[in-house]
Amino acid sequence: MFDLQRRGGVMLAPLHSLRRRSVPFALDRMLIRKAIGQSSLLFAALAIALFAFGWVRVWVVTLLDMQQFQNVLEQFRDYEKFAPISFDALFTYSGRVGMTFDEPIVILCTVIWCIARGSDVVSGELGRGTMEMLLSQPISRAQFLMSHALVSVVGLLLLCLTLWAGMAVGIEVTTLTETIPPPSVRVPFTSLVIPLSDEAPQQITVPLSDRVDALAYAAATFHLFSFGFFLLGLSTLFSSIDRYRWRTIGGVMTVYVVQLVMYGLGKAAESLRFLQGLTFFNCYKPQKMTAMVNEGGASAPWNWTQPISDGWLPPLVYPLILLCLGMICYAIAMRTFRRRDLPAPL
Amino acid sequence: MTLPTDRPDDPPALPVEISAAPDIPYGLPEHCGQAMVRTCRLSKSYGNFTALSDCSLEVSPGEIFGLLGPNGAGKTTLIRALLGHLHPTSGKSLVAGFDPQVDPVAVRRHVAYLPGDARLPRHMNGKGVLEFFAEIHPSGELSRSLAVAEALELDLSRRVAFMSTGMRQKLALAVVFGPRTPILILDEPTANLDPTVRGQVLEEVLAAGRDGRTVMLSSHVLSEIEQTCVRVAFLRRGHLAHQLTMSDLFQRHRVVARTESPLQQPTNRRSKTTALDSEARKKTTASADAASATASPATPDAMARRGDREAAFWEVPSELRSSVEVGWLDDGRIRIDTAGDLQPVLGWLSELPLVDVRIEPLGLHAVYRSVHFGDEAVVSAGPPCSTSSDVGA
Repeated sequence: MFDLQRRGGVMLAPLHSLRRRSVPFALDRMLIRKAIGQSSLLFAALAIALFAFGWVRVWVVTLLDMQQFQNVLEQFRDYEKFAPISFDALFTYSGRVGMTFDEPIVILCTVIWCIARGSDVVSGELGRGTMEMLLSQPISRAQFLMSHALVSVVGLLLLCLTLWAGMAVGIEVTTLTETIPPPSVRVPFTSLVIPLSDEAPQQITVPLSDRVDALAYAAATFHLFSFGFFLLGLSTLFSSIDRYRWRTIGGVMTVYVVQLVMYGLGKAAESLRFLQGLTFFNCYKPQKMTAMVNEGGASAPWNWTQPISDGWLPPLVYPLILLCLGMICYAIAMRTFRRRDLPAPL
Repeated sequence: MTLPTDRPDDPPALPVEISAAPDIPYGLPEHCGQAMVRTCRLSKSYGNFTALSDCSLEVSPGEIFGLLGPNGAGKTTLIRALLGHLHPTSGKSLVAGFDPQVDPVAVRRHVAYLPGDARLPRHMNGKGVLEFFAEIHPSGELSRSLAVAEALELDLSRRVAFMSTGMRQKLALAVVFGPRTPILILDEPTANLDPTVRGQVLEEVLAAGRDGRTVMLSSHVLSEIEQTCVRVAFLRRGHLAHQLTMSDLFQRHRVVARTESPLQQPTNRRSKTTALDSEARKKTTASADAASATASPATPDAMARRGDREAAFWEVPSELRSSVEVGWLDDGRIRIDTAGDLQPVLGWLSELPLVDVRIEPLGLHAVYRSVHFGDEAVVSAGPPCSTSSDVGA
């Protein structure tokens, strides 16, 4: 309570009694509420899209028989090098469901959230002219930025979990039909298969959860979060420098596209393979994590000592690199924002 | 206690006296000294452009202080530097005893600020905005903000995005008048408001002053400054050109009259150091010379006929010399600016061969014009007003 004193019928607050009402760790409760209010609509839309897509994507997997899927994929064997993992790792239901994390819709939703929220923090407020009134209140720039960042990061985490939840629901409620061929025997040293019965192939229906464990995608979800966290940090960094949000978004998208092109070129040409190591996309390996779970168990993606088969670093290090890069971006953004002049509203 | 200086070429540290807490409700902390706002040679440059240059001023606790100047004079730059939004190129400042560059949060804890272009979160409705700002400021008071909004007849159920410019300004005023902070900084608070609401806002400013709050008011409307402020500073091209106490201004008058016969303008006009721009001064002198040539053809014969009378006319009694300034208007009329009590001046005036005498208070408009268009006499007449060279250093 403030130590108020009455004078002339007016409640007056002496200077020394003025205190902040804030939550710890340099965050401000009201700023957090404001950020939630501003982002809730976008979050709701993206969460619904990701949940629904995760569910539908799993269901779509069951529509295509594994044998048919294998035949289709074999047609593109020449382009396997562009795939995040080998085609053979995809010839499982788990591998096919794991492809969800590389679907354009998932990436798009994540990128939209990260760039929208990251670009809003400084240049967005400056562009709208609301920064002047907000920072005229007794809140520090660090509080302002961190409160916004908290909402963005938690929102990102929830979006990733929403996708995972959608996939988990899809796995639980979806059934698949498998064809069991009649018993047969293969003649040794020949390719001859002799049926032992003249019965028609038997079709059975099994729950997808018998073939796929939703927990196998925990590491992939963590990778998606790390990917988004880096983008959030990058967007925040650009935003902290700029005063126009459209320019911030343009800058981040330019970096994104350039990195994507570098990654693609690194995949396409052996001589340019080094480019892969220079892009943050190289650290986003959700399908690889899924494959590792299938091969080495649930704990395989969390190893931080044993390098992965076709990479230089242990599996856990890749998302940690993204997280570290995101943290560095946030740190630079904080420093820049605290030192810069705030332009007056235009 | 003094502010630490980091570099040898820093401006001198602001002397801050330790004194007992002033006997006002919004008193300063003990470490703050006498001034609620104090700047010392505060400058802000953007590349080659200097927005604020060597601005030194003080605002006392409980004072309503006006900032005047044309667009781009540096008023908003000064205010935003005081709040820590801008990092000064050089100079120091203290607000409520805190350096905005060292502890801007502490500064803003003691300040309620209305920006010149107040924009509020568009996704909130009016009441939500008031709740938000009342909650975020430690001395925020929602009931008071709501009362101000009601007095301004503001529809709080409407979302900010759908409010008109005037409504948004009213809402911002309700936000700013909510917290009971020791300092209130208002940058053009009556912009976009109708005359009735303007009056209410000015009354609120006066009430803040009566409550002992320190108010800094930036405005282009001279009558509002006259109506509310105790003291006023004029900024021009980033320089603090002039400071004036309103009580002194109200004691200043201008006598305009015609002489019974044309007289030659005096050549020994008193010169006084002001912050006037030299170009503007030259322009004024040139126009005055031109006017004198038209009004009083100084032929040798005419000079000879009027010699004694003219000399007597220009001989201002010694006891009035410190408070009287004589000059000419462009239309050839004589102009006598006075400061202080009119009684002794009236006696002298009655002896002069003047006709069509008119005495009028020397309003802020005349001072404003003098500062910005170079009429040195208005600025310099009367009791010396502090200028940028003698404030706060």
